Amino acid sequence: MKGVLDNAALGSAREVPMKDLVDRAAAEVGKVLLGKENQVRLALCCLLARGHLLIEDLPGMGKTTLSHALASVLGLSYNRIQFTSDLLPADILGVSVFDQASNAFSFHPGPVFSQLLLADEINRTTPRTQSALLEAMGEGQVTVEGETRALPEPFFVIATQNPVHQSGTYPLPESQLDRFLMRLELGYPDPSAERQMFLREGSAPQPEALQACLSLEQLAAVRAAVDEVHASDNLLDYLQRLVAYTRNSAEFAYGLSPRGALALLQCARTWALMEGRSHVVPEDLQTVLPAVATHRLVPTSDYAGDASALVHDILLNVDVIAG
Amino acid sequence: MKLEEQVPRNALVWIIGTQFFLLLPHLSRIPWWVLVLYVATAVWRSMVYTGRWSFPGGYVKTSLTIVCFGGVALSYGTLIGLEPTVALLLIAYSLKLIELANQRDAYMVIFIAYFVCLTEFLFSQELLITLYMIVAVLLNTTSLVALHQPGQDRFTSSTIRRAGSMMLQALPLMILLFVVFPRIGPLWNVPLKSHAARSGMSDFMKPGDVANLSLSDEVAFRVQFEGEVPARRELYWRGLVLSKLDDGAWRSLRWRDVPGDQRRLAEPELVGDYSDYSIIMEPTQQNWLYALPYATTRDRGIIRSNDFRLVSPVEVQDQKRYQVRSWLEVPLEDDISDWRRGVDTSLPELQNPQTRELALQMLAEADGDPQRYANAVLEMFRDQAFFYTLRPPLLQGENPVDQFLFGTRRGFCEHYASAFTWLMRFAGIPARVVAGYQGGEINPVNGTVIVHQFDAHAWNEIWLQGQGWVRMDPTFAIAPARIEFGLEQALAEEGSFLAETPLSPLRYRNIGWVNNLRLQLDAINYRWQLFVISYDQDQRYQILNRLLGSVGQTQLVFLVAGAWALLLVPVIITMVWRNRGPRLDAATRLYLDFCRRLRRAGFERSGHEAPAAFAQRVAADRPAWAEELTAITRCYENLAYGGSSDPEALDELKRRVRTFRA
Repeated sequence: MKGVLDNAALGSAREVPMKDLVDRAAAEVGKVLLGKENQVRLALCCLLARGHLLIEDLPGMGKTTLSHALASVLGLSYNRIQFTSDLLPADILGVSVFDQASNAFSFHPGPVFSQLLLADEINRTTPRTQSALLEAMGEGQVTVEGETRALPEPFFVIATQNPVHQSGTYPLPESQLDRFLMRLELGYPDPSAERQMFLREGSAPQPEALQACLSLEQLAAVRAAVDEVHASDNLLDYLQRLVAYTRNSAEFAYGLSPRGALALLQCARTWALMEGRSHVVPEDLQTVLPAVATHRLVPTSDYAGDASALVHDILLNVDVIAG
Repeated sequence: MKLEEQVPRNALVWIIGTQFFLLLPHLSRIPWWVLVLYVATAVWRSMVYTGRWSFPGGYVKTSLTIVCFGGVALSYGTLIGLEPTVALLLIAYSLKLIELANQRDAYMVIFIAYFVCLTEFLFSQELLITLYMIVAVLLNTTSLVALHQPGQDRFTSSTIRRAGSMMLQALPLMILLFVVFPRIGPLWNVPLKSHAARSGMSDFMKPGDVANLSLSDEVAFRVQFEGEVPARRELYWRGLVLSKLDDGAWRSLRWRDVPGDQRRLAEPELVGDYSDYSIIMEPTQQNWLYALPYATTRDRGIIRSNDFRLVSPVEVQDQKRYQVRSWLEVPLEDDISDWRRGVDTSLPELQNPQTRELALQMLAEADGDPQRYANAVLEMFRDQAFFYTLRPPLLQGENPVDQFLFGTRRGFCEHYASAFTWLMRFAGIPARVVAGYQGGEINPVNGTVIVHQFDAHAWNEIWLQGQGWVRMDPTFAIAPARIEFGLEQALAEEGSFLAETPLSPLRYRNIGWVNNLRLQLDAINYRWQLFVISYDQDQRYQILNRLLGSVGQTQLVFLVAGAWALLLVPVIITMVWRNRGPRLDAATRLYLDFCRRLRRAGFERSGHEAPAAFAQRVAADRPAWAEELTAITRCYENLAYGGSSDPEALDELKRRVRTFRA
């Protein structure tokens, strides 16, 4: 969102040390993904807000790089699954194998048992396999062969997908899209960033080599601090006006669900924290809205384009201050 | 059954409760078993609700209906008439409970209930009853509201509050319609009250048949004089003239008794003082009206009879209000026709020989002068041992007047009026009995004269050459206190005043506050009757004319619509006020004021622009303001979003916005 005021100029009510941590992590990721500061911060915001992240863009735009870099700077154990059209649920969740030595079945956990799961090109696989991720993302647990197993804490899913109009894709159903807190698009880098990329070709740092900036305790502390961020009545009014607009506008087939509205508030809180504020201001909502709302909103059928332009209209049409 | 067709529990209880409330005032008029029937149906319906019993079958319902019809016929001896009809309505209303299965039935019962509310007014239109019925309507409306709260089986005061607010909202329209709606005459006539006129006046008089006159403290009529109230001894309210002696009873002449050429009233010449007053009369089921002599009226639909009374062509079934001008000094009928003289001197020849003898003897003593003779008779009543009592001995013999004059010598007005007439007619002087009311109580609160049933009285008129009909009151001769001070004084020794109605507030009028309360209540009731009950088509025209000048029907329709629209204005204002959007807090109001100042300087904040973004945009254009912009914006953000309720911060914002010069 353009026009976001530099918070250093305004000062903040309470200097939060979390801000430095997050800034450092963002800078670290920025080393491998040039010129995408805003997206990097949003991705961090999503993870700090305990949400799963969906990155959608064309092949070769840096989706996987971003995912890797995030896993590295957060210091999490991670697994990566490359989704293909013949991938089966057992390939994700794990399988029981008969062990002749102990004469019993033993469970071999799948890649889902990790703190961060990179699901690459998630829309290349069949809905059956996609749905295997549903329970894991929703409840933080998986049920294999009738037995429910808890996933590690924390548990994040960063999924990447190709634009749905490309061939060989199975679009994610709305129910599954809703489990992702944010959906980001990376877009082409700006010329100067791209030039820098050309210049350092060969000596570019690898995502795996990035320094972990947050310990698990710090991550938990950041997440706890998110809940402390104050959202005033004025702000909640604004949030409700935004949500009501999506529900009443003729441009959307249906508006934001209560879960979507909660997601918006949670992300705005996290963003406020990342900006070093102890309260949410309208800009926070404006910043996170496109990433949080676009994949949850479906334009009415007579609208040909993508929802992102419409989401921008929401911001333009809803007054920040009532009256 | 679908959920929305079910009758919720609270609606059912409201309906049953309303029924009881509506039955209560009718209890004195309906057979006792109707109440039993109601209780039984209410219990049955509750059992159906709890699922223990089921609705009765068709045979049970049919036989119950037939039995109830039979019961009403037995109780009243007829099915026709007001009271049996109301009883049947109440029975149907109660019976409907045991087939109240779905919402449609509930509507039926509730609408019947509104109609039952109406029937109470066929019997009484007093203020208290009206208030009671307003409560009944409220309860019934509450049932209706409860019916539309499906799934709500708990009782909340919100139900009755909503019904109350609905009624309050309807009030202005009700008043408007009351004032302007045309009073359409009845489309059919309901046979009102089967029992005839209450105690007080009847159209015949047979003294001697009554051993113990019971007094009723009911109000007969109320009078409002426009000028001074005449002296109490002048207040002879004429109602009936009894000229004909029929088997010992005095009766009024019927229409057919009067020959055609005598039916017209001989209009006397109007001279002297007059007195204007209006009377509100309680329903009597009779035709005659009460007024002081000689009464004239300009009200339509009132006839003046040939014996100088006012008569209504239809029986007085509702409270009736009429305007009278009485010429107190006008002589009545100074020339008497032969027919009239014949009627008013006729007596059975052979009865009461002693009285006849006495009459002729006294006439001779008076030298045949009628005036002197009449005075002598009054003196006789005064001087000899005659007594005024409400508990006279019976006079059953062949010659009751002889028996009275020479034997018992105890009686009330009827006895004396009757005896006086005999004495006059034996002497050949035209004489007749006049029945009506005498006196009345002046209510100091509003100056009305309240005439009660116990003020009923009978006196005489004799015809004297040159004077016309002259009023003679033999009771006055015996018990002057009766006339001067009222019945209570006259009966002070006997103690029989209202002895049979111990609860009458009139009995306790020597207790100051009781009497005061009674008179205050009567004043309120009078106003109620004057302005509400007796408000009729004529008054409607008068009021509308006074308010609006002369208006036609079309204009009136527009007027009503306009007035109604005017009444809706506050409603609309309230609705707009409620939808005026969220209340802004003080900080936001200050900030918007700040934005207005910036707009005058050419920087318009668009709606979607957050405060910080706006400040940044302006600061980029006017770097000189940057510091102040940042300070104000930070201040506002802290107040509006930071959860700060620091009054100093608000003061700071206020100060900064006030001093900001764009």
